[in-house]
Order: sequence, then C-alpha cells, then structure tokens
Amino acid sequence: MPDWLTNIVGSDVAAWLDYVTNGRHLQWYASFGYTIGAALLGGAVALVLGLTAAALRRSRFLPVRLASAGYANIVRGVPDVLFFLFFPLAFEQALEWIVATGACSVEERAASSALWPPCRDANIFFSTTQYFLLASVTLGIVYGAFASSVIHGATAAVPRAQLEAARAFGMSERQVLWRVQIRQMWIYALPGLSNVWMLLVKSTSLLSLLQINDIVMWADRLGAPNFQSRAGPIHPDWRWRYYLVLLVFYIALTWLSERFFRWLRRRAGRGMIAAEA
Amino acid sequence: MKRLIIAAAAFAALGTAAQAQTVRLATEGAYAPWNFIDESGAAAGFEIDLGNEICSRAGLTCEWVITAWDTMIPNLLAGNYDVIMAGMSITEERLQSIDFSDEYYPPDPSLYAVREGAAVDFDAASGLRLGAQTGTIQEGYLQATFAGSNTIVSYATFDQAVADLIAGNLDAVLADAGYILPIVAAGQGLEIAGPEVSVGGGVGGGMRKEDDDLEAAFNAAIASMKADGSLNALITEWFDVPNTFD
Amino acid sequence: MGFLEAIVSDIGSLAVPALFNVYFAVASIPVGFVLAVLLALARHSRRPVLSRFAAVYIYAFRGSPLFIQLFMVYSLMLSLNLSLWRPWGVDGFVLHPLFLGPLVLTLNTTAYTAEIIFGALRTVPQGELDAARAYGMSPWRQFRSVIWPNTIRVAWPAYTNEVVFLFQATALVYFALPVVDQQRDLMSKATDLFYRDFNVFAHYAVAAGYFLVISWLIFVGCGAVNRRLNAHVAPQRRVALRYAPKYLR
Repeated sequence: MPDWLTNIVGSDVAAWLDYVTNGRHLQWYASFGYTIGAALLGGAVALVLGLTAAALRRSRFLPVRLASAGYANIVRGVPDVLFFLFFPLAFEQALEWIVATGACSVEERAASSALWPPCRDANIFFSTTQYFLLASVTLGIVYGAFASSVIHGATAAVPRAQLEAARAFGMSERQVLWRVQIRQMWIYALPGLSNVWMLLVKSTSLLSLLQINDIVMWADRLGAPNFQSRAGPIHPDWRWRYYLVLLVFYIALTWLSERFFRWLRRRAGRGMIAAEA
Repeated sequence: MKRLIIAAAAFAALGTAAQAQTVRLATEGAYAPWNFIDESGAAAGFEIDLGNEICSRAGLTCEWVITAWDTMIPNLLAGNYDVIMAGMSITEERLQSIDFSDEYYPPDPSLYAVREGAAVDFDAASGLRLGAQTGTIQEGYLQATFAGSNTIVSYATFDQAVADLIAGNLDAVLADAGYILPIVAAGQGLEIAGPEVSVGGGVGGGMRKEDDDLEAAFNAAIASMKADGSLNALITEWFDVPNTFD
Repeated sequence: MGFLEAIVSDIGSLAVPALFNVYFAVASIPVGFVLAVLLALARHSRRPVLSRFAAVYIYAFRGSPLFIQLFMVYSLMLSLNLSLWRPWGVDGFVLHPLFLGPLVLTLNTTAYTAEIIFGALRTVPQGELDAARAYGMSPWRQFRSVIWPNTIRVAWPAYTNEVVFLFQATALVYFALPVVDQQRDLMSKATDLFYRDFNVFAHYAVAAGYFLVISWLIFVGCGAVNRRLNAHVAPQRRVALRYAPKYLR
C-alpha cells in the first residue's frame, strides 16, 4: 500500500484494503475466472448440443429421434448436480477402461490393490485445466438437453403460413429450413434460451464439488475463522460475508445477462411486429 | 475399437506426460499448523516445509495440490495425486486400502475443546452435541463412543467445526492436540476439557500400495531427517506444544 | 459383485436416503406455496413499498444459486446463534439440516412460485373482473371466486415444473450443510458409496432412478389436480400437462 494512499484513506481503511488484496484474496478473485469461463464454455457447448439434438429430433429415422428425445428427457429428469458428478467420473472411467483393454495384462490386474483403475498403466490423471474443461462440457451437456427442447419447441412455433409462403416462392425444402424456419426460430427460442442460460450460470456454483478450487471453495477457506498468526490476522468466522459477495456476484451476473438477452431479442426481432417479437 | 484405444491412450498421455517426473502431494490447506493457505495464497505449514524437504532430499520434483479432505483416499487410489500429507494418522482401517510412509509426527493425543466454563460431562455423556471433521479418526471415535444418546455432527473441515463450537452450536469438538491447542490459546473463549483420547498412530504420508519405490524414497528421507535432528527442529518450529521424536 | 447385484443392493441402501429428499420437498413446498401467493399479491399490489419489496425478494432469490443460499443462510444463522437462538432455547434445532434445509428451500421456492403466480395474476381477464365488480362482490369475494380460480389454473402447469425442480434441488442440501448423525440423502449417500468401490454406473444410476420415479409421481399427482382445475373448461381449450416438462424456473 503506497503511503500517499494511506494518507488519503486513513490507516484503518488502508489495513483493510491491504487485507482484501493479499495473495489469498487475489487467488479468490482469480477463481472467478473459472466460474465465468465455465459458464461461457458450457453455454457454447449447450447451444451446439441443443441445436444438434433439436435437429436430430426431426430426423427421418426413429432410433435417432428416440435417442435425441431420450437425451433431453433423461438428463432433465435428474438433478443437475447428479449428472454433474456422474459424467466426469464416468467419462474418466470409460477412458481408463478402454486404455486398460490394451495396457493391462492379467497379472497386472491381479496385482493392483485398488478397485479402480484396473492397473497402473491404465490410470488417467486429469490436470486441473482438463478437469475444468470436463466440468464445463458437463454443464453444456446438462443444459444442452434443456436448450434442445426450447429449440425444438421454437422451431415448431414458426407460423406455418410463412413456410408455405416460402415454398410458394419456389424455395427448396433446405432453403425453407435454413432461410426461414431456423432464422425465425431464434425469435421464439430466445426467451427460453435466456432462461437456460440463467440456470447454467447458477449451476456454475457447483464447480467446487469436482475438486476445482473455485469461488465457493475460496469463500469457505477465506471466511473460516483463523487462529494462526502465521496464516494472517486472527479473526472469527467471517463466512457469511464472503458468501454474501458471491450472492451479489451471481445477482449481478443475472442482471447483466438479462440486459444482454433483452438487447439480443430486440436485434433478432427487427422487422417483426412488436407484439410478436 | 483399435482407433478408440489409440485416441484414449493419446488423451491419457496428454494428462500423464507431466506425471512421470513430478510427485503430486495432496494437502487440505485448512488444518493449521499442519497445512494451511498463507496470506500470499500458497500452501504453508509444517507438512509443506516437511514435504518440500523430503522431496529435495529424495531428489524428487514435487507439486502441492489443495483438495477436500473427505475424498482424499479415493482420489489417491484413483491416481489423482501420489502422496497424501494432510495430518492423516496411520490407522488399521486406512492401512487396508493404502500404505503409509514411516511416521513423521509421533502419535498425538486428541483433545476436547469446549466453551470456557461449560461443564461438559464426558463420562456420563447424554444429549451432547459433539463435532469433528468427516472421515477423521476423531469422528470415528465419537461415533463409536457417543452415538445414540448424543448428537454427532460431521463437518467438511475442522475449521467449520470450530466455528460452530465458538458460535455455541456444539458442546465440544474433538481434534488433534497439535491443531486444537493454538486455537484455544488464541483467546476465543475456548478451553480444553475432559479426557485425553488416544486414537490412531502417528502421522505419515499416505501412498498407493504399489508405489514401493516412492515409499522407500520417502522413508529414507524421513529417516535422515530424524537422524540429523531437522525433523524435530521443524516440529518445534511449527507446534506450540511440540511432540518431538526421542 | 456383479453389476446387477450392485444395483439391487443399492436400491435397498438408497431407499432410506430417498426419504430425506422427500422430506425436504414435503416440508418446504406447502409453506412455500402459501408464502408465494402472499408474495405474488404483494408484487401485484398497487402499493409501491409492498410491490418493490416483493420484486427485490423475487429477484434476489431467483438470481442466485440455491447452493450458495444454503451456505449463506447456514453461516448467517450460525452467527446469530449466541445472541438469538440460544436465549430462545431453539439452538441445535434451528441449525439442524432437517430444519435449515427446508427453510432455505422454502425461501427459494417462494420466490420462484411467486413469479409464476404473479405472471398468472396478470392474465385474469379484465371482463371477468368488471363483471364481478358489477355484481357488487367484496374484494375478498372477487379474489375467491374470480381471481384465484383463474390464476391457479393458468399457473398450475408451470407450478408443476417448479415442484419437480424443487424436489431435484433437495439433492444439494447435504453438500452444503454438516451431516448430523450420519443422516444422508440420495446424492450424499450415492457419493459415499461411490468412494468405497468406484462403481459410478451403479450408484448414480440407482440414485437417478429414484429421482426419475419420484419426479414422475409428482407429475402424475399434479396432472390429476390439473384435470380438476380444468374440469369446467371446454376440452379444446384445456392446457394438458405432458411429461416433457420445460423445467425452466
């Protein structure tokens, strides 16, 4: 803390400012990057998966349609936290199982003391970054299911008359799909997609359950009472203050997202009659 | 299938490339003075100093991982790190699934912390609210001794249990002497009461059973630190009431 | 142990934990519904103070994750323990997950449900209101006979989603609160089992099965209520409940 700043704000505020800018706090602030990164990456994956699943839902082949509907309904039918814990673990085990089929001999399998993985060579270790990517993709898979049903519904909501008009102009089915139905679909899908995005943002608070040192983990560690002068000033339980910061952060994120989606809807709804958009 | 194996192997290699040289040490970072996160945001404490010294003596490159306590053994077995150094006592139950290095801290009694002036009767305990961290030897002891007529509350970290004790939500917390004594000394209106409890052996580094080379390297380094007195010096440096090796 | 035996044994060992999830939902949904109706009326009211307060409450609880609300409320209640709960003799009870869990879930579902009911309140046809006034109905009578039946009929499908969603949200309680006397819910128990034998497919599949079945039962129950609510509506104008819920809160 430079002296001139101490002189302006007084030593109490300066000490306090010092405290909230120490290395531990800086790490906490940096960990907000995980939350925002997971939301953006998860959102992108969700959108791609949602579009794909919605498209497959219109496939000519029954098994494809069923698979797409099954994905949407099963993932949405269980709590997000369940899938969030299940998928990274299952993915890792599946990879290890595949590696094990090639890498593990019978003797090695017998020698391994752990129940999993089958043998040491089949062990896959994910770095924090890889685990973070996996967690974000999992978020995308969960909310892709939600997005797919929003997009599916929105595609069906495009007025039939518009499609017929397009056909009457001599557009091919492909052109009708891409130039009319999908473009118009966005207008109907945006309110729902904005809702899915809000859910996804809120579920980024679960990252700490996957051993990622995210904002929730840091809030717990920073707020926990400290009795060791070597670990910083001794203080009682301050946790709720830190959680309050997180609540405000999420509310602010929601507010920003709302404004963004409102802008997007205005943009997408250009040329529409106000009541319809 | 073949291509799948190659793809998976490539993916695995990506993840394990760094693992060959680096030994990953897991700690909790919420158990001062054993291990905690210091003001600069780095892992610090007795076990961090000790682990770094062991690694330098054994010629290993080590890296600290801060992770939640209750899933440490499963994650060690799953290969997410190689050694646990988190104030983990050597017990029969744990030895069934993992190995330990030689102990680097002698068996430490567990003590009850209560609020000052609270007359807690541990001999005829009933209706008490007792707290400990999930998956610790202290939690196991409380379950075995007091379950039924008392309430046993399990927390994710010991710091949370202490916060609840200070806030009056618990009658007592049972924890290692090395952890609880500085807290009581910090003047938060707590005191030590009741009997000393001896559960578990000394503290050692937890490792997978098949990692014999790593275990031997650790044991050699610990032995040399015991021999030249540097382990005792480290214990004296970090603990208020040091429990040194003879 | 084969996969099938693992499944069967899990169905047994997760049955009691499932009751905890059911308890959390049952303890919070009715109270939350009543509070939500009051909150929605406050939001709809012409008094700016009431309406503002309700709007802020709804926004705050819908805009933040339940997971953090659980942590926040626990640590806040803990900090009030010595000054309030102990003198009142309710300590231990107030901070027990079986009380605190439903408390936070209630606060949470109140906000979401109030938003649904508020939206439905605004769809009550003006003509029916005018007619009620022309009949000289008292405000209470207007609410009882005109506003409420319309509101609940419109709100019910969305409310069904909210109930299912809240039931699923009960999975978060034991990830945020301390565990008392080894009482565990579905997720907490399934995770515990997983860390013993790494059988991710059996334990989580069975937990998921419990969630799916109970969600479906909730859905069937709400569907029956929906049919009753729509009994007087011409069949082609009825809103049918389908088990393809939008699950959007």
